[in-house]
Amino acid sequence: MSGINEGKAKRATRALEGAGDTIHTHKLRKEFDTLVAVDDLDLKVGHGLLYGMIGPNGSGKTTVIKMLVGLLRPTAGKAFVLGEKVPIKDNVSRIGYMPQEMAIYTDLTVHENLELFSALYSMDRESFKKREQELLKVIDLSDRGDNLVSQLSGGMKHRVSLACTLIHDPEVVFLDEPTVGVDPELRVGFWKYFADLKARGKTVIMTTHYMDEAVRCDVVGMMRLGKLIGEGTPKELMASTATSDLESAFMVMAKKVGT
Amino acid sequence: MRIDRVLAVARKNLRSLKHDRRTIGFLVLMPLLMITIFGYTFGGDVKNIEVYIVNLDQAPANQSISAAIIADLETRDTLDIVRIYGPSDAGVDPVGIGRDKVKDANIWATIIFNETFTQDATRLAGDSSGQSALVRMMVDGTNPNIVQAISNDVLTAIRTALGSRAFVAPIAISTDLVYGKDARFIDFFAPGVMGLAAMMVTFMLSIISFIHERSTSTLDRLLTTPVTEGEIVAGYALAFGLVGLIQSTVIILAAVALFDIQIVGNPLTVLLIVFVFGAGIQGLGFLLSSMAKNEFQAVQFIPLILFPSILLSGVFWPIEAVPAVLRPISNFIPLTYAVEGMRSVMIRGWGIGDIWLQIGVLVVFACVMLLLSAYSLRKRR
Repeated sequence: MSGINEGKAKRATRALEGAGDTIHTHKLRKEFDTLVAVDDLDLKVGHGLLYGMIGPNGSGKTTVIKMLVGLLRPTAGKAFVLGEKVPIKDNVSRIGYMPQEMAIYTDLTVHENLELFSALYSMDRESFKKREQELLKVIDLSDRGDNLVSQLSGGMKHRVSLACTLIHDPEVVFLDEPTVGVDPELRVGFWKYFADLKARGKTVIMTTHYMDEAVRCDVVGMMRLGKLIGEGTPKELMASTATSDLESAFMVMAKKVGT
Repeated sequence: MRIDRVLAVARKNLRSLKHDRRTIGFLVLMPLLMITIFGYTFGGDVKNIEVYIVNLDQAPANQSISAAIIADLETRDTLDIVRIYGPSDAGVDPVGIGRDKVKDANIWATIIFNETFTQDATRLAGDSSGQSALVRMMVDGTNPNIVQAISNDVLTAIRTALGSRAFVAPIAISTDLVYGKDARFIDFFAPGVMGLAAMMVTFMLSIISFIHERSTSTLDRLLTTPVTEGEIVAGYALAFGLVGLIQSTVIILAAVALFDIQIVGNPLTVLLIVFVFGAGIQGLGFLLSSMAKNEFQAVQFIPLILFPSILLSGVFWPIEAVPAVLRPISNFIPLTYAVEGMRSVMIRGWGIGDIWLQIGVLVVFACVMLLLSAYSLRKRR
């Protein structure tokens, strides 16, 4: 297990230095009036990695994601996704985004939700049907396709939301706090999907403020006050701070950079 | 029940209002707006109905009964006499001109006194034959309120003119309806209700569904897919335009089945108007919804837009009953054009070529609204 992780770590480090990163930003900045939400961020995420952005609420994680998927315009700096400057246009179909909120139509059925997003990605009927069956199986809702989303439990809605994000089989998946409000059992299931995505060569960039979860990521970026205060594999981060968990590692890092 | 807890709940509600300035403004301004518009419009009589008068009466001016009637009509502002043709204008066929003007709906009526009007009235006074001198009127019968108001005013003028004379002459009005020969109030009403229903439904659906789209972040998700802002707006317009269409079809069918309303023109033209109008109103709802910060602010736009539209667009009473101060507003209300267009088709039997103004205004309105909506979506990023 640890051998595999070390292999991943090496790949991660290599990818961090590589020029062909799936995502990279240069002095990326976002200000809201007087608040600096993202402060000259330089970020690189290599291909095929599971990258976790951790940090407390208000550290700028969501703002970074929103700029990368084109929902917010950067105040300054640059960001590239799949080599295209944001807001991306040509590569829109190659990314998938799961917002923090459920962001699915509760007055439609599960099937109708999936069908809508497949249509927006101009998928043909055949591949949609195949993909839908596949995804419904993965999210364990194969028999709920014709249920109205409003009739589903919170956890089920979360799973539908994830399925909508993945319907077009994107290469880069942005997940904003995918596990907030998700019960422990479902969370385990989610992490299984994420690992599966990675195994299929997808790049996953996710935000979370559950530090204990982030251990499962290949690379973790620690965000605080709009800046990256530490980055590396969970092992590296813990080793360099002489701590045994990411939460403590974060505290040490935060102390190091000052208030 | 404990009063302190009641107060705590009440305070919570008032406090959340306090944080929303626009809502406070709305709470004060909305009733002001309503009382102003309601007060003015409900109190208003039908005024300034544009008419032509053709007075061919050859009696000398000091004896002419027609001249006295016209003079009396001029003292009130029920009729706005746009033009008076005298006996010397006989060569230009004023009756023909008057009829054409009514047919084109440039004016509501042409009132005609023939050459022997005063002579007939004088001759028939005291005559027991039961014959009368005739005031002929060619009236656009599209709007029963207008027909009624014109007749009443002319009758009043006849009474006043005769009252100053020593004899009582038998004078009658002969009305020739150019349009809406059998029009009843329901015929006038049906197009108005259709327009209003289309407006209420598309506007509310659009405002509510878009605010929902925003608050649940489905809009964010949409905007990260290849779908463009224009496509989203067009999709909304198409959907709600169709809803308006279905609704109007139901209203037309029900009105025909239950009230036997007359549809002289092509019902498809009516539906075309509804669709364009619905798409535009949808755009307006979308746009206003994007200006609102929350559901409550969005909902405030509903009465703000609906009330003036209902009261000033000629749905329930003619535009001529809207006081002159407010009438310019009527010209800026899309529903005015939708209703006028639909009435022209359903009662006058006009085709698209005759209502190009109304269709044109609605098309421009829809385009502007949809473009602005798409722009407001783009600006959100």
